[in-house]
Amino acid sequence: MPDKRIDSLDIKIIRLLQQNARASFKEIAAYSKNSSDTIKNRYNILLKNGIIRGSTIVIDPKKVGEGNLVMMGIKIVQPYSDSIINMIKKIPGICIVSRTIGIYDLEAIFILKDIEQIGATKETIEDFPQVKGVNVGIFVDKPLLCPKNFEFE
Amino acid sequence: MKLDRIDTTIIEMLKKNARTSLREIARKLHVSPDTVSSRFEKLEKQGFIVGSTIIIDPAKIGYSFITRFGINVKPAYSSQVLENIIKIPSVIVATKLVGQCDLIAISVIKDFQHLCRMRDTILEMPYVNNVDVSMWIKTMELCPYYFLI
Repeated sequence: MPDKRIDSLDIKIIRLLQQNARASFKEIAAYSKNSSDTIKNRYNILLKNGIIRGSTIVIDPKKVGEGNLVMMGIKIVQPYSDSIINMIKKIPGICIVSRTIGIYDLEAIFILKDIEQIGATKETIEDFPQVKGVNVGIFVDKPLLCPKNFEFE
Repeated sequence: MKLDRIDTTIIEMLKKNARTSLREIARKLHVSPDTVSSRFEKLEKQGFIVGSTIIIDPAKIGYSFITRFGINVKPAYSSQVLENIIKIPSVIVATKLVGQCDLIAISVIKDFQHLCRMRDTILEMPYVNNVDVSMWIKTMELCPYYFLI
């Protein structure tokens, strides 16, 4: 269930910050017709309650020279332990790794510089014991991020 | 355009906290706030920095897990389908892919019914051939900056 502690003003604050995390409390106050102090207060409560976990800028990884986002779908001999996840966690460039229910057993997303590094990373994973196969998917274009779509009920 | 130490410091600091004031960055770099401010504007204008956003804990607003959809589409229609997918509420990231599927979308999901509805919505879109679903359990985010989860 959605957090009961969120009301319509909180949602307004969240919506605005999702589109521009650098908006000042004054700007949010003007937009929501409240005082800056109220907004600051609410923002701090949202942070304290962990509803807002942080803020970040959206960068173009290619322009910044960080290369490609690559998804690896990994099939593993069952049963498997967390030790393989811990091994994957240590691979350079790792972004996210998760156990999954679906066509793969694990999925991981990496940021890798070039085709050589993609190949090397795939081989590293294939060399792990229990790994049956690795499927690579390379993100083309800028990934489209659409956080402002989150629904609140 | 080559990025120097000032640019990369601005990017790194804002990646960790987009609300860091430019003055604070200037203090760390031992340069004037005006320098940081003009560099920041340049980074935005040239598309290195695309925007900024906050990271929300999906569990706190009623979402229970993350799902990755792999979507196969009729050749040459991937851009069109992508445009529709990005409009679905709860999709966090969507992109074209070179690999087993043509598009992937990562989405936060409320419950099993929501998952089924999402899958149906995507399947019903024109030019979509098939959709595979992969539910993420025990996700470890090591670098959430790219994924606004």
